[in-house]
Amino acid sequence: MSDTPKEQNSIPTSKVQRSAKFVKTGIKVGGNYIKHYSKKLFNPDMDKSELNEDNAADIYESLSELKGSALKVAQMLSMDKNLLPQAYTDKFSQSQYNAPPLSGPLIVQTFKKYFGKSPEKIYDKFNVRSSNAASIGQVHEAELNGKKLAVKIQYPGVGDSISSDLKLVKPFAFRLLGMSEKELDIYMREVEERLLEETDYELEVRRSIEFSTACANLDNVVFPKYYPELSSKRIITMDWLEGQHLREFLNTNPSQQLRNTIGQALWDFYNFQQHELRAVHADPHPGNFMITPEGKLGIIDFGCIKEMPEDFYYPFFSLTSTGLMDNKDETIKAFRQLEMIHKDDTPAQIEFYYTMYKQMIGLFAKPYINDRFDFSQTAFFEELYGFGEKVSKMPEFKQARGVKHFIYVNRTNFGLYNILHELKAEVKTDTFKPHVVLAY
Amino acid sequence: MATVESIRKAYIDFVLTEGQQPKSVYIFAKKNKMTEEEFYQFFSSFDAIEQNLWTNFAVKTITEIKTQEVWSQYTSREKALSFFYSFFELIKGNRSFVVYSVKKQPKSFSTPQTFTGVKEVFENFCQSLIAEGIESNELSERKFFSNRYKDALWVQFVFILNFWINDNSTGFEKTDEAIEKGINVTFDLFQRSPIDNLFEYGKFLAKHGGLKESMGFGSN
Repeated sequence: MSDTPKEQNSIPTSKVQRSAKFVKTGIKVGGNYIKHYSKKLFNPDMDKSELNEDNAADIYESLSELKGSALKVAQMLSMDKNLLPQAYTDKFSQSQYNAPPLSGPLIVQTFKKYFGKSPEKIYDKFNVRSSNAASIGQVHEAELNGKKLAVKIQYPGVGDSISSDLKLVKPFAFRLLGMSEKELDIYMREVEERLLEETDYELEVRRSIEFSTACANLDNVVFPKYYPELSSKRIITMDWLEGQHLREFLNTNPSQQLRNTIGQALWDFYNFQQHELRAVHADPHPGNFMITPEGKLGIIDFGCIKEMPEDFYYPFFSLTSTGLMDNKDETIKAFRQLEMIHKDDTPAQIEFYYTMYKQMIGLFAKPYINDRFDFSQTAFFEELYGFGEKVSKMPEFKQARGVKHFIYVNRTNFGLYNILHELKAEVKTDTFKPHVVLAY
Repeated sequence: MATVESIRKAYIDFVLTEGQQPKSVYIFAKKNKMTEEEFYQFFSSFDAIEQNLWTNFAVKTITEIKTQEVWSQYTSREKALSFFYSFFELIKGNRSFVVYSVKKQPKSFSTPQTFTGVKEVFENFCQSLIAEGIESNELSERKFFSNRYKDALWVQFVFILNFWINDNSTGFEKTDEAIEKGINVTFDLFQRSPIDNLFEYGKFLAKHGGLKESMGFGSN
């Protein structure tokens, strides 16, 4: 077998493992402070830059160890810069808040602040001990009128920390990726925007309701019911979705038919959103899906939504159709619109990027070409990774290219491909087709 | 008829509107339509009112948290956290007075007169928590030091109070963070830690003497 599954195995997946990782980082960062202050004892002139660098290095180190193979593919569209946002969005926010769980009294306090009463007065039953950690909060089990509920509570001060964490790692990232601050900045801002949106639970509830209503007609997809009256800026109440996480599900050795059903549900869920809603659940993290006992796909967590503006959607998805790709002039126009080819590029550069991007998008679009696609085939993924690997070593791709929307759209689609690969699902890919424009 | 409650209220109203204490009990009593005698039935001075207000905040907080259903399930650490959260939630309703009262205290190392009452209530409360914690082995008993645990909590109390006064975050979220982190760290120190083991080890080495000889590998 290929090296793909092995790589995936090496990502710390269980919560315990993951938090262990971050505990380690925490200790290291703490150590850096000790190092800093003991040095300062002898050299009072020392400033904090070395300390920050040490910290960023250690944080970054543990992030890179955690990066998934999806990340590798995400480098594809020229973007080493994807490395950072991906690592960030998946893990960094977690690293900060996973470690100390909220104390019982803080939970009571949070409820009192937003509802004026303690959780036992709101729900019939409320478990003060959390059942799992969400990315920036934790989940508690509760019961009201005989219904089992999941209550997500956010840690205080998450928003502020995100901004300050990004500031801390930024300079380090520039050096590491060899990019100028100006180039990277628009991508960083995009990431920061999404991350901050994730901290707004009121927005999340609104979107969850919106999206689950819009997607209600899809086959084999289920959503929990949300309770806006029991939610607030830092609390979300929703139905408790019974089921297994993707990995647990795979351990039960499900039949090919069941895998296909789940895979199809995933495909439909994502492509319906991308092509019909033009806004997509941009966090295809295995932890955000549940497989219910009835064999349906349950979707939780609408914290991260990426909206696609027309001027991104049409040029990008039109490239997935052979009709446009066969026309070189129009393709270059589309590339220009997506800022993959810049205004001041020389003819040689245009030719180079045209060939490379065409190859890349061709790979990305493979599942769309025919009406069925078998995601279990390792050859396709090897080709993807191989290409990503090659590109990431090319000096031409050191420079940032492509509009900011790529970050999350790539993450979404490659994340989806990866999950489907893990599921080894065969999927009908023509259920919700991209809308295509043939000329620019 | 004046009551403790009505005098406290009138006093807060006065100092917040005027920005200072009334010039005399006579003026204050007249303004609030009571006799000086009535006033002295309850309080001996304006400072006594202030002291009483502070004590009352703590007493009220403790009474309230003890009625919560989860109280009996809480560990000592959680009980302390619960006190801090509820206390700051309570004084939020009197923030202007609290800021006025804290800011006018002279800077000194000893506890200002105004806070002696609240300090006593707080320390008694902490003392019982700590005793409970030591009994259940949640906290570690250390000679001399465990009697000082309550002092560490009082230091936290003063620190968080000042933090809260300067907190500009929405809903005083930063104060919540300061409480969560600060109290947890303090209780981490109260628990058995590497320092205890180090100390034990030191004691062992000292007792089983010959430290110098055994370190020197028998040098002569």
